[in-house]
Amino acid sequence: MRMGIAVRLGLALALVGVLAAGLTGYYGYAESRAMLLAAAEARLLTSTRVLVRQLAIGLDNTARDVRLVAEHPQAARLLRRADPILQVTSERNVALLFQRMLETHPEYFQMRLIDVADHGLERVRVDRDDSGVVRIEGDELQEKGHYPYVFETLRLPSGTVFVSRAEINHEVGAHAGQGKPSLQVAAPVRETPDGPVLGLVVINVDLNGLFAQLAADLPPGLQLYLTNGAGDFLIHPDPRLAFAFDRGQRARVQDPFPATEALLADRAGQAAQLVTTSRPVGQAAVVAAFVRQHFATLHSEDDFILGLSQPLAEVVEQSDRLGGATLRIVLGFSALAVLLAILLARALTRPLNQIVQAVRGFAPGAAGQRLPSRRQDEIGVLARSIEDMQQQIHAQFDSLEEKQRALDRLASHDSLTGLPNRRLFLDRLDQALAHARRNNGHLALLFIDLDNFKTINDSLGHAAGDAMLCAAAVRLQQLVRASDTVARLGGDEFIILLDGADDSEAIAHVAGKALDALAQPVMHNGATLRSGGSIGVSRYPYDATGATELIAMADKAMYRAKSGGRQRACFAEPL
Amino acid sequence: MSLRASSLRLASLVVLVAGILSGVFAGGAHAGGVLRVLAWPGYADADVVRSFERKSGARVELTVIDSDESLWQKVSANGGGDFDVMAVNTAELQRYIAAGLVQPVDPARIPGTRRQLPRFRKLAEIPGLVHVRNGRPAAYAIPYTYSTMGLIYDRRQFPEAPASISALWDPRHRGRVLAYSGGAHSFSLAAQALGLSSPFRLQEAQWGRAVDKLIALRRNVLGFYTRPEESVQLFLRHGVALMFANYGLQQLHMLRAAGADVGYVLPREGALAWLDCWAIVRGARDTDLVHAWIDHLLGDTASSLLVQRQGLANTLVESGTGGPDDRIAWLAAVEDTSRRERLWARIHSGDRATRVMAP
Repeated sequence: MRMGIAVRLGLALALVGVLAAGLTGYYGYAESRAMLLAAAEARLLTSTRVLVRQLAIGLDNTARDVRLVAEHPQAARLLRRADPILQVTSERNVALLFQRMLETHPEYFQMRLIDVADHGLERVRVDRDDSGVVRIEGDELQEKGHYPYVFETLRLPSGTVFVSRAEINHEVGAHAGQGKPSLQVAAPVRETPDGPVLGLVVINVDLNGLFAQLAADLPPGLQLYLTNGAGDFLIHPDPRLAFAFDRGQRARVQDPFPATEALLADRAGQAAQLVTTSRPVGQAAVVAAFVRQHFATLHSEDDFILGLSQPLAEVVEQSDRLGGATLRIVLGFSALAVLLAILLARALTRPLNQIVQAVRGFAPGAAGQRLPSRRQDEIGVLARSIEDMQQQIHAQFDSLEEKQRALDRLASHDSLTGLPNRRLFLDRLDQALAHARRNNGHLALLFIDLDNFKTINDSLGHAAGDAMLCAAAVRLQQLVRASDTVARLGGDEFIILLDGADDSEAIAHVAGKALDALAQPVMHNGATLRSGGSIGVSRYPYDATGATELIAMADKAMYRAKSGGRQRACFAEPL
Repeated sequence: MSLRASSLRLASLVVLVAGILSGVFAGGAHAGGVLRVLAWPGYADADVVRSFERKSGARVELTVIDSDESLWQKVSANGGGDFDVMAVNTAELQRYIAAGLVQPVDPARIPGTRRQLPRFRKLAEIPGLVHVRNGRPAAYAIPYTYSTMGLIYDRRQFPEAPASISALWDPRHRGRVLAYSGGAHSFSLAAQALGLSSPFRLQEAQWGRAVDKLIALRRNVLGFYTRPEESVQLFLRHGVALMFANYGLQQLHMLRAAGADVGYVLPREGALAWLDCWAIVRGARDTDLVHAWIDHLLGDTASSLLVQRQGLANTLVESGTGGPDDRIAWLAAVEDTSRRERLWARIHSGDRATRVMAP
């Protein structure tokens, strides 16, 4: 298929338009999507950091509570058994304090004062149970010396607080806390900062309760993860995956979120963080932020890694909407670009087509088609140039024709008399003969020779001869019909072709008139020139059928007339 | 030459020819057969399975199990009809025997048993392996691999290896002893320490003494662990002198890898040890093939892979941590698992004797 300039131009323009709209749309969308994603990731990370901060504040508050009691003189006095009489009162007071604290802190399961003596026997213990907060006494008190939160805390200097790793509490008789994820926060009790350690105060924190409080303000759709320093889930949206290690199984954060390996490896890292997009097996892709929290001020057995995740679909929802809008805009602009391209192409090619039509239809002498020469642009200039060119061509053709006509005349006419010359005469004779042969017609030739011409020419000069010849030409021409031809064969010889002449008398009559006309004097420079003529007549088809023979017959008859005394006409004699 | 002698010779010739033929055509003997195996990770690695398939011509369908419970479910699901052979420990084996899910095995059809250490050949001395069936004793499993629960001690604190588990109670090591937190093993340990004849079968009158013994242990230890890595951390961090190694050599290797100068000893009371055996499931389709399988795994290749790849001990050579005279107390089913666990939970939680024994 041949593509016209309009189609090609239109296609190119449309392509450029669609490409421009598409590329602008795509890059706009990509950039915006990246920005939206980054903003969503930043929000997620910020939420996680806020949560970690809250966790740190929560634990700091618990640590303050623990220290408050551990550093209270009454705790040390009680453990030192300084005054047996006041022992019971002291225990009651401490228990009351514990009860108040448990009542105001729903995330506390249990508070205890543990003695370093008697294998870590609990001296004061307050538990939360279904009915509320209860004090545990007598033989229900247990020996806890073999638990890490006891033997680790007893090693600590005063003023420091121990935070255990998060574990399921399997201690029998722990009431509400039994079998629940918990965290022990403990501080050693000393009478003086440098004195021997007498015991410790422990608060059991309800891990789920703590996080239920923390996560209460989270926007819906966010999912909370908590792991220990090894990556074992402590809190997971699917409760079956939390504390899997307690059941002899393994469910760790690096499986669904491999990027967290970096966080797990970074043991000394202070609150390292990362955002990752992952596709946990059997789930839709999620964006998740993780922050590793190391409690610098606390003597923590383990770090926490806290994470929040959000379905990727939710995060990119906005950008998907943006993508839809961008697509519609791009399509709209593309359609517009195509339309504009068509219009533009047509606007450009219509005058061009007009010019093409005009140039194609150009012919010398024809009026030609209208050109868009009124336009002021390049097309107008082109049209005007073509118009100028057309006019030039027209003018040149005219002058050429003029010259052609003059040349033709020169070639076929006698320059002196203006009569057809021998060439033209022979042409016409051939035509007349051909016509006569077809139609069984007739014609006659009158061969005329001027008498005394040579004498006049020699005596009076060429001008006189010329005048003589011209006068003879004019007079002979006036004698005949328009269909007859008078020609000058050369010198003083003329010939007349009488087409259709058959009647001898009529021919003789014409010959007589010719003799009369030639006999009339001619005035030249005041001189009267007298001449006359001798005429030989030949007829077709009686005398000859060919042109040359016919002329020769007439010539021969003319000689006979001349030799017969001039001023007469002789018919050719049959051979 | 008497007729009798000649017929004897003829008989032995027939046996010899049959033996050669069975050797030559062993590849075709079970061709097309399928052996359905239930085993623990590392018991039958792919190369071991392949070499058996080449040798026997049978195809092996290996199912790997990861807990006693899943083993029980798979075997009992179809009355033992879904498998041919399984690896099970001596204590667990008892309920399969009681449920009739396993059938006797004939050591005489397994030439490899003759290369086992003497204590693994005396099946009757391993509790639970031989039961009387139809008035005659019948063996129900062939020992394959085991792990002892010895004592790990810090060589710098012990000039000589502790000889007895009573070292765990030695007040000189108070606060520098680690023990395992688990009801079944703890009571067995206490029973051994008390010198009771049957550590897995406490008499009613012995419970109180065992509880007291365990409370005494609690008061002497630094703490109790459940996971091997936990034990290693505590051991290193607190300068522990002595540990009851519930995970045996695994803990020893971990400690040594961490740079500890530690030794491993089997106490004279007998180290508790689990013993995994091959047993034939009741629905086994081709017992010849099963016996051939067991024989294959008692070969040098499979058995040495247990040591190299799994850090376990095999039944062909001594593990190097105790001589042939060392006493091993093969774990057996205890008299009442849930009672042991219940009492242990109380002891571990810190209850005193009266409360532990309370109903």
